[in-house]
Amino acid sequence: MSNAKERKHAKKMRNQPTNVTLSSGFVADRGTKYHNGGGRPFHQAQKQEPFPGTSRQRQTKMTHHSPMDPDVKEQSSSKIMFKKKGGWKAGPEGMSQEIPKYITASTFAQARAAEISAMLKAVTQKSSNSLVFQTLPRHMRRRAMSHNVKRLPRRLREIAQKEAEKAVHQKKEHSKNKCHKARRCHKNRVLEFNRRQKKNIWLETHIWHAKRFHMVKKWGYCLGERPTVKSHRACYRAMTNRCLLQDLSYYCCLELKGKEEDILKALSPMCSIDAGLTFAAVHCLSGRRQGSVLLYRANRYPREMLGPVTFIWKSERTPSHTSESRQLWIWLHPTLKQDILEELKAACQCVEPIKPTVCTPGPLPTTSEEKSQTELPDEKIGKKRKRKDDGENGKPVKKVIGDGTRDPHQPSSWISAATGIIISDLTMEMNRLRLIGPLSHSILTEALKAASVQTVRVNATVVLYSTHVLLSKFEGEDTEKTPHHWWIETCKNPDSVSLHHRQEAIFELLGGITSPAEIPAGTILGLTVGDPRINLPPKRSKVLPNPEKCQDNEKVRQLLLEGVPVDCAHSFIWNQAICKNVTENKISDQDLNRRRSELLVPGSQLVLGPQESKIPILLIQQPGKVTGDDRRGWGSGWDILLPKGWGMAFWIPFIYRGARVGGLKESVMHSQYKRSPDIPGDFPDCPAGVVFAEEQAKNLLEKYKRRPPAKRPNYVKLGTLAPFCCPWEQLAQEWESRVQAQEESFVASSPSGEDSDSRRDKLPGAPTPENTDLQSDEGGTSPSSCSEPREVMDTECPAQVGTAWVAGQDATGSLLCVLRSRKWLKQLSTWCGPSSRDKRAARRTSGSGEPTPTRAAYLPLLERFPRALVWVSLALLRKGSPEPHSMICVPAEEDFLRLRGDQLYCGPQESKHSDPFKSEIRKQKERKKVEKRQNKQAPSEPEGLAGGPPAAGHRALTLGLWSGPLPGVTSHCSRVLLGFVTQGDFSMAVGGGEALGFVSLTGLLDMLSTQPAAERGLVLLRAPASPQYRFARIAVEV
Amino acid sequence: MVRFKHRYLLCEVVSDDPRCRLSLEDRVLGGLIRDTIARVHGTFGAASCSIGFAVRYLNAYTGVVLLRCRKEFYHLVCSALPFITYLENKGHRYPCFLNTLHVGGTIRTCQKFLIHYNRRQLLILLQSCTDEGERQAIQKSVTRSCLLEERSDEEFSESGEEEAAEAME
Repeated sequence: MSNAKERKHAKKMRNQPTNVTLSSGFVADRGTKYHNGGGRPFHQAQKQEPFPGTSRQRQTKMTHHSPMDPDVKEQSSSKIMFKKKGGWKAGPEGMSQEIPKYITASTFAQARAAEISAMLKAVTQKSSNSLVFQTLPRHMRRRAMSHNVKRLPRRLREIAQKEAEKAVHQKKEHSKNKCHKARRCHKNRVLEFNRRQKKNIWLETHIWHAKRFHMVKKWGYCLGERPTVKSHRACYRAMTNRCLLQDLSYYCCLELKGKEEDILKALSPMCSIDAGLTFAAVHCLSGRRQGSVLLYRANRYPREMLGPVTFIWKSERTPSHTSESRQLWIWLHPTLKQDILEELKAACQCVEPIKPTVCTPGPLPTTSEEKSQTELPDEKIGKKRKRKDDGENGKPVKKVIGDGTRDPHQPSSWISAATGIIISDLTMEMNRLRLIGPLSHSILTEALKAASVQTVRVNATVVLYSTHVLLSKFEGEDTEKTPHHWWIETCKNPDSVSLHHRQEAIFELLGGITSPAEIPAGTILGLTVGDPRINLPPKRSKVLPNPEKCQDNEKVRQLLLEGVPVDCAHSFIWNQAICKNVTENKISDQDLNRRRSELLVPGSQLVLGPQESKIPILLIQQPGKVTGDDRRGWGSGWDILLPKGWGMAFWIPFIYRGARVGGLKESVMHSQYKRSPDIPGDFPDCPAGVVFAEEQAKNLLEKYKRRPPAKRPNYVKLGTLAPFCCPWEQLAQEWESRVQAQEESFVASSPSGEDSDSRRDKLPGAPTPENTDLQSDEGGTSPSSCSEPREVMDTECPAQVGTAWVAGQDATGSLLCVLRSRKWLKQLSTWCGPSSRDKRAARRTSGSGEPTPTRAAYLPLLERFPRALVWVSLALLRKGSPEPHSMICVPAEEDFLRLRGDQLYCGPQESKHSDPFKSEIRKQKERKKVEKRQNKQAPSEPEGLAGGPPAAGHRALTLGLWSGPLPGVTSHCSRVLLGFVTQGDFSMAVGGGEALGFVSLTGLLDMLSTQPAAERGLVLLRAPASPQYRFARIAVEV
Repeated sequence: MVRFKHRYLLCEVVSDDPRCRLSLEDRVLGGLIRDTIARVHGTFGAASCSIGFAVRYLNAYTGVVLLRCRKEFYHLVCSALPFITYLENKGHRYPCFLNTLHVGGTIRTCQKFLIHYNRRQLLILLQSCTDEGERQAIQKSVTRSCLLEERSDEEFSESGEEEAAEAME
């Protein structure tokens, strides 16, 4: 009987009486009960009438009361009793010490009483798992019996009452101090919402998302993962033909303030020109464009990647404006924030934290929010209503805007004593909405209207002097009253007014441009807009591109060619005081709707006049697909930066113009179709990427284990060593040692080759014994093969003199990096291409004209990056849609032969592997069974002894997964492994399977150099749960 | 519902010999009844009664025995019970007989019957009791059996265990 069954049985029998025999003693609880009541008097009786030999006798032995018995005998109507009594009395004594010789009425009564109590217990207490009303026969059951106790028969009510109480406790405790209606009332809801967003930050659109999306808690935020409606294809269509809207407010913003030279000097070691443009790029530095850059730890360029970021410099408004203080915003993914912030602080030597209250000119916006938030829990609900009546505090409950989780005392800005650079963390201080797709222009121009200049009519016609007079008058009256005095101030300055008009004109021009991709990448346009809620359409509609606007006039052409002029990139959003003002003086939705309802003509345009908010925003063009040849500019769009608090006010108008909303899944799809790496999943060399991979592996493993072993793929048999994670480090190492081994043999066979010469130059003292060791170890266990190559590396290091990076490597240990040098990537992409395209490609990159990668050509690359990965995109030749963690393999000779012969040849099959763990698992199971049996036989033995060591000694084996250290991953299957796919799916953009992933650089070069020209760049792809290899073409896109 | 229906025979073992109580065990009693059935009803009877036959409860102090058998053949068991005249254990024979108190369809009804039966016995004993000390003792046990429900059982049994241990010494 299994353990659970036993337990169930025991539970069922716990109230049932057990057998009571004289020889069994008092093991049973019933027996003890039996003696409990009678123990005392019996004891006394024994004392009163001591028998010399009875001290060790059983309790059942009773004192003899001779006068009692005849009465009992005479008067007892029960024959049995009579018999019994008589029998015991008449029975010969001294037969056995244990046998009671006499019986008295009290003993008799005690025995009966004990039995009655045992039986009562058995009868009254239920022992089954069912509820009381379930034990009733069908015809006695009534509706809602479990709910209403009075519907039960009276004898069962008491038990049912107990049960009901228990069930209530099990249920989740509601805040029952308030009724449903009270809980739904606005104030209490806001309180509740504020409480709930203390742990994870809510975006401003959270409630909207929570109603329509599957929410996940990620990176300290509550984010919408995917819509609850089926919308995969619809979202793709929105991205290509219409417009997709995303809330990217969870992206973090770090602000650097200081002298331009200082900032550039501090940041220059963190990025490299080799990997693309840096912070000092001319377009970006002027503030015209957004730049993107890959950050590394200072002076560690090819390794120790921190993550990709985008940045914008605040444009210099006028040349007269001294370039002393520049502002730089670095936008990054929340997973990268900690590392990058630390590194930035170190690089800029910003160590002194500034108290949040004094850090910026004007009070910091967060403090007020945090104060209000900390106050909230103290206020009692009952008090609040009173307070409102008193009018003492009109707004007791304030919605949390911005970061609700941050500790108010935690510093958010740091200053450097030496250079005066201020780093501040502007996370959640701004909203970032992203529009993707060609219709984003139309939506933007429809939804947003540039703010009206406060004194437009005057300004346009009257001379400057009179404006000043008028304005000063205006100011005198209204500045105290109107909350938007900053805008009035700006309107006084003719320069800024004209700038505003120019910005407005450019913004209007955008409506005539068919796709955001036509505009130079990263263009920034600053703007001040009116309240977008005012011209909200009454119904949700879909904008259509206006053909009238699409005129190919001179202005548009100029805009497309030159982009937005520098001064138009200016926006008041850079000024925190103004942002704070704008956030605080937002008219609530309630007020707005009330005013709308008070309009004389219902549905007519609401005119707020000077009370209308003016919101400074920043529009940033997002380039779409920038790599590769096809679909250039796909997925381009605009990012809108808003001051906090205004998220929903812009969100709804965009949706009312026909934007479809996507979540995290859609942003992954976006990056996949763009063939750009997804943050943080596709950065295996940065810490956030490693964490992400670990988490993903954990989740996948959990999901895998949930299935019964027969219903899940046996990855060991399929030859998939790592179905859930990609062992990049091991892959790169193995390829390195593999190529070395090959070359060793090559040198041995043909010592007069040109390559061998160069090889010898490189490795003058390459010790042969080590390499032979290495070869023998390759098939062996991983720990040894892991340690060997590293040792080899260390011995080789002195030989490869001259490169600075080598010195740093020994300390860090990890040699893994991703190749991001643009020069080499370009070279690689020409090598990867098939022979037909080679000539063109070669001509294009005229410097390195060689279409075939020779060893001489790529040796310097290999030297520089011995263990590097390359980001590649793969397009399947024929059938199949790749999955994440698919394996990229090198095709063998015979595969090409068969492909040449049969154009429809799908690919080879992986033969079945044997599962060495299966027998082990079976053995373990048997051992466990035996142990259990032993435990059962000897329950007295402490379980820790029996169960402890085997559990600790043996690792938990899972059927179908490789346990323990992985053996050589490259040569485990029939085709040599080259890399792994990180994103892969059927691509609706291409109409076929497409995958993105990393391959080992060494392996890729080795493969390319050996493949014939016609089939160069062909690889095999195999999904982790399938034995089928499929042909795919590899491409390195720059 | 679909289930095997049983009959439960609540019997009382009556014996003149006090040693008989000592050897009253479920296995001994079960074997005895089986033998008797075989003797009375032959091989067929023994086989048909052996399915589902069990001694479910036994109390040596009061001599109460609860037997279980299948509903179809409980007549065979019932009719065989009077033929038991002695209890044999370890070579000793003690004359005794079984007195059937109740035949029920569930253990529960038998338990309920037993409660009533025992109460009745106690009351009769109380009525017929003459000695004052005895009378008090009996009264005590009667009240105890009646007031059981109000006490918490767990405490009861624990304290009882301790007292029993004391008494054993």
